Amino acid sequence: MDNILKYIEEKNPAHAAKLNSWIKNMDTDYFSESELFFARYKKFIESTGKKLEYGIDCYLKLCAQMVFERIEFIRFGKYANTSLEEVEKSIYLNPEMFEYHMHGLVFAQFLWKEQYARFNFFSKNIGNYLKPQDKYLEIGGGHALYIVEAMKKGGDANSFQLVDISPSSIQLAQGITEGLNILFLLKNIFDFSPTEKFDFITMGEVIEHVENPLSLLIKVRELLTDSGMAYITTPANAPTLDHIYLFNNATEIRDLLNEAGFEIVIEKTQYAEDVSEERAQKLKVALMYAAFVKPKK
Amino acid sequence: MEKTEILASMNKIWRDELDNEAITITESSTANDIEEWDSLSNIQLVVATEKLFKIRFNSAEIAQFKNVGEMIDCIKAKIG
Repeated sequence: MDNILKYIEEKNPAHAAKLNSWIKNMDTDYFSESELFFARYKKFIESTGKKLEYGIDCYLKLCAQMVFERIEFIRFGKYANTSLEEVEKSIYLNPEMFEYHMHGLVFAQFLWKEQYARFNFFSKNIGNYLKPQDKYLEIGGGHALYIVEAMKKGGDANSFQLVDISPSSIQLAQGITEGLNILFLLKNIFDFSPTEKFDFITMGEVIEHVENPLSLLIKVRELLTDSGMAYITTPANAPTLDHIYLFNNATEIRDLLNEAGFEIVIEKTQYAEDVSEERAQKLKVALMYAAFVKPKK
Repeated sequence: MEKTEILASMNKIWRDELDNEAITITESSTANDIEEWDSLSNIQLVVATEKLFKIRFNSAEIAQFKNVGEMIDCIKAKIG
């Protein structure tokens, strides 16, 4: 982590200062988890002939892009792209853009306070819900951080599967989890048979990428056993090029989970900036929402 | 519009957006000079300035502003 922060300081001192202001207060768990994660990523990225610094450059490029996305968001009160077709044009079918976006987000997992908060919430609670013999499915787990943690905390579970519609994301996840017993599926979640059931489903930062999050949540509900549990996270007011569906606050997210047939068991919210509630709402600061949910009886 | 008039209007924006009537900006002012002027409020200031002067800054312009004076020069060039 020290080397990553030093490199960021060389390239963007103001951003490094902002990161250091919260990272300096983190506990030993944060540093050991991040070291382990970045060691896996470093091994993978070097196997592709690139260096760790390449990933950090992607991260800094992503941050710069996000500033302009936020300006557009404040100007117009909506995300720049509102359809999958627009996102495909600007990111998914633009290899260079997709590459830096994907690698940049790897670093965000530990460099952004709200991203670490949603991981930490998962890490502290997954052990209570993932049981021996359970079938675990992760939907859209590009950097594989969560599935690796689930294996660590619920190692006796029966099987671990990760599904993604992007070949590049699958390749990244496979690279980072080399040696672990995970079944990777390049597949659309809507192509899963309704008779296929899972005991635990993780779907982090996915529903904001689709035009109709309700139908996706209903599909997840359908794939869960009646006694199953899901970990679902999504942001509000978080403009990036590939976010389509705008949640304005946590209430809208809770309402949608409820409409899809879920009961919220425990939840966590975290603003991306250290500001008061009043200021966060006024400035539309990005909010991370995470919840363990179960099917409503 | 003269630079002094633009600066006067910007002072009003800065006071309103940063909720501090005591703020006074000059052409040499930067974010380092005003506690409330952080990366988050900077976006609000940029967008409020655009609205008031009915202009639009592009990404490169926003990234290159070093102080209020450079912003004023850019506004003046846009509104004539």
